[in-house]
Amino acid sequence: MTKSQRFKICLAASAGGHLTQLLKVSGCVKGRDVFAVTTSDTVRRTLTGMGEVYVVGECNRDHPLRVLAVLLRCIRIVLRERPAVVISTGAAHGCLLCFLGKITGAKVIWMDSITNVDRISLSGRMVRFIADLFLVQWPELAQRYRGVEYIGSVI
Amino acid sequence: MIFLTVGTQFPFDRLVKMVDELVASGVIEDEVFAQVGDHAYQPRSFQAVASLDKKAFDEHVHDASALISHAGMGTITMAIDTAKPLLAMPRRKRYGEVVNDHQVAIARQFERLGHLLVAYEPEELAGKVRLLKEFRPTPRQVEPEAVARRIAEFLNGLSASAAP
Repeated sequence: MTKSQRFKICLAASAGGHLTQLLKVSGCVKGRDVFAVTTSDTVRRTLTGMGEVYVVGECNRDHPLRVLAVLLRCIRIVLRERPAVVISTGAAHGCLLCFLGKITGAKVIWMDSITNVDRISLSGRMVRFIADLFLVQWPELAQRYRGVEYIGSVI
Repeated sequence: MIFLTVGTQFPFDRLVKMVDELVASGVIEDEVFAQVGDHAYQPRSFQAVASLDKKAFDEHVHDASALISHAGMGTITMAIDTAKPLLAMPRRKRYGEVVNDHQVAIARQFERLGHLLVAYEPEELAGKVRLLKEFRPTPRQVEPEAVARRIAEFLNGLSASAAP
């Protein structure tokens, strides 16, 4: 087993703006062993070069059954890949992967979406309690929440 | 030409109808072209299509003197990146146009930073359209490289301690 195989990084972002923002910082995993988990097949090509791509479908808190289906898919992915780190911009499936990662010993990096101007996203507010690095894109949010870092905005 | 785009996922008939009225009444004198999405209100005073492919969309943005749209992040960043004056109207939860009012908060923040003009209420639209021609959006400072470096540093710290 090589070193890189033991240090797998999970990139989790929903199709659309969340993925756009994660890809803006994807240079941070250059040369590393990564895989990606997204919500729609339509963005598979966007993730070329990001290792294995898993598509788990869309879900949000208004559809609990869909959340359950996505959760089960995410559990299978985490057990199979055993990531050392989960990096996510959200949304709901990213939140699930962060918690599943944490349970299985992974470090958690969250970057909250630029669209959360006045307060951190619901997913982000939950992940904040387990995150090892939590980044926001508005300086006001870093002042408002403890343990939250503002470096700059990516978009 | 003013390019009116409201995304293709959900219609935003309220805005399209308002722009239609402003063109019909002569408040908007420029030619307007619109991308309105499927099953959407069809304007009478200007040409509209359901959707455009990426290339055609980019061409319309390039040719436009100004943009009118919802306050979606994709459109806002596109307008900033292309330095086009944008008048945005947030989609509202109370009209069933979106699941929450996050577009209002986004519009307010980007307006405060001088990146766009905003019409929060229908009656503001005509006045803001008149300002659009002279509006010069403030360029935006973004630092994706700095954020990526911060994450990379963090990962380096982890993988160093994970090494045998």
